[in-house]
Amino acid sequence: MRKKNFLFVSILLLAALLSGCTGAIAWPGLSATDEAAYLANTTTVYAVDLSDGRQLWTFSGERGGFSLFNTNPSLFVSTPVVTQEGLVIILDSSNKHVMYAVDPNDVTDGAPAIEWKFDAVDGLWIAPPLEVNGRLFAPNSDGNVYVLDLTDGKSEKQAIEVIQVSQPGEGESRLWAQPVTDGERLFVTSLDKSVLAIDLETYQIAWHADLGGAVPGGVALGGDGMLYVGSLAKQLERFDPVTGEHQPVLDTNGWIWGTPVADGDNLYFADVDGYFYSYNTAEQRLNWEPVQPDASITASPLVIGDRVLVATESGGMYSISAAGEVDLWFQGQEGSQAYTTPVLAGGFVLVAYLESDYYLVALDDEGDEKWTFAGR
Amino acid sequence: MKNPSNQTQAQRPELPQINPRETFKTFAVIALLVLAFSNFGFVIDLVVNILIFIYQFVGESFGVAIILLTVLIRLITWPLNAQQMKGAKAMQDLQNDKEWLAIQKKYAKDREKLAQEQMRLYRERNINVFGSCLPTLIQFPILFALIPSITYAIGSYPLSILKLSKSLEAFGLQDVVSLIPLNSKFLGIDMGLPERTVIFGFGIPVLALIVGLTTYIQTKLTMPPSANPNDQSAATGRMMSIYMPVMLFLFSVNYASGLSVYFVASNILSIIQYAMMGKVNWRNLIPGGKKS
Repeated sequence: MRKKNFLFVSILLLAALLSGCTGAIAWPGLSATDEAAYLANTTTVYAVDLSDGRQLWTFSGERGGFSLFNTNPSLFVSTPVVTQEGLVIILDSSNKHVMYAVDPNDVTDGAPAIEWKFDAVDGLWIAPPLEVNGRLFAPNSDGNVYVLDLTDGKSEKQAIEVIQVSQPGEGESRLWAQPVTDGERLFVTSLDKSVLAIDLETYQIAWHADLGGAVPGGVALGGDGMLYVGSLAKQLERFDPVTGEHQPVLDTNGWIWGTPVADGDNLYFADVDGYFYSYNTAEQRLNWEPVQPDASITASPLVIGDRVLVATESGGMYSISAAGEVDLWFQGQEGSQAYTTPVLAGGFVLVAYLESDYYLVALDDEGDEKWTFAGR
Repeated sequence: MKNPSNQTQAQRPELPQINPRETFKTFAVIALLVLAFSNFGFVIDLVVNILIFIYQFVGESFGVAIILLTVLIRLITWPLNAQQMKGAKAMQDLQNDKEWLAIQKKYAKDREKLAQEQMRLYRERNINVFGSCLPTLIQFPILFALIPSITYAIGSYPLSILKLSKSLEAFGLQDVVSLIPLNSKFLGIDMGLPERTVIFGFGIPVLALIVGLTTYIQTKLTMPPSANPNDQSAATGRMMSIYMPVMLFLFSVNYASGLSVYFVASNILSIIQYAMMGKVNWRNLIPGGKKS
């Protein structure tokens, strides 16, 4: 009997060891209103009171129901989106493929009420959707953009339109970035190395352009009216939003992962080799030579007044001045990693961390820690 | 007058003689394991690069790449597996040996003496007690590395692709930009995610069930015959034929289906290897069938 037990325990131990082999596969998603931060962190979405870091509610998927072999947990890593109506759109990025809309003002037993859900897709939800005039444009890893009517009052949504982004024979068109609109067109990027524009009225593809590398980030609308997008081909490309004509305007040192951020004539972006760029779109030149804070950068920069904050893989938050001077503004715990784009809300800069004792930290305008959130 | 030292020598239990060759092998395996686990990042990078190389070579099919990687691992570990089979067979034979059974009975109440006698028999029959488990242990780093390797390589999530790029750049052998995104579909299944086939509204993990079934068949077919009802090895084998399929099934339910493909391929290749060595007991699969 003792031998049997030993064998059983050994097998369980082996299973546990095997289970611990993968580590983190995605970084948290973070968004906020003036009152609350919404953090999608692996199996749970947390709503956090911005004033004191108190947990308001959590969401871990639909409760109840029986499903055979439903041992595969939900995965929440996509950035939650708050609609005009005040609902929070939460994406389950596991192979359950469910998009939920929850009401943050209707909380029972610590969980918000589900207003509606949508799951008629074949791929993973990674990209946050975009709301345009009561319609939700949701890119999926199956290569389609699903259009939902937010005003139909249905609790089980059906797509009113499915826009096929991938071209036959092109392979996988995983759509990972939130779309951007100029009011007439929707601009979508794809890991199949393409950028395209969708006419918002007809849902037809207005133009489609191929780049040399996958595009995990979104496009930025520059101050000059042009589109700017970076890719894994280590190039910043400029697009005409009407015709889709494009040309590379800058070679970078590494992959451009995060969506560039436009501020007037300046465009800020970074690469995974850890370089940060400030590009003048009016004069088509770099404002200064790229600076390199300390580690790989996947997050988009955050512009606050006359400085830009950037989060690095080493857990550092760096402040970069208009002249290109780099200062360490805040340092996360040793071994922590910041891949998520920081958010400015309620007077705080919110930074989400991986491999840290806390999931979220709120910093004041001096970079001093005001509160941390570690779940409960 | 008695010589005290001689007396002590006579009373001292007989120590097992050390076989230098076997000891060297044991230490070499342990050293290799320590080296692998202390440089686990390197092992992962290595497996990722081999996997991606095969992926490109076979026309960008991830499922085929995993199967070929399994074949490669099986070929590399073939001598180890052969040694394991040999060791297991020797242990099995010993369990049914008359002398072995006699000492079990004779020293049933004297564990120390029983252990000495067992060691003597191991030595006389030239059996390495670790012979059947060391080859298995040495495969652990490969198996452990395979899990993150498949997860990174398929790149279903952003962080996986970043880790993949770092793994590939560490070796500098692959054109990373042209590779991404990788084609993760095989037979309509996304290799990066746990598989579910919807049947009558239920999500059934068909691939995980195949893993459980092939593991059961593999353990049954490769279980050596035993005429002795008290044979401990046979009892362990019977337990393994239940625990292992259940464990691998539960594991496959939750993890990337690429790993399930590895388990299925590995089980089939294991059966083939046993068959080639003439050690498959087909009758074990027949309920109530006479054991060959």
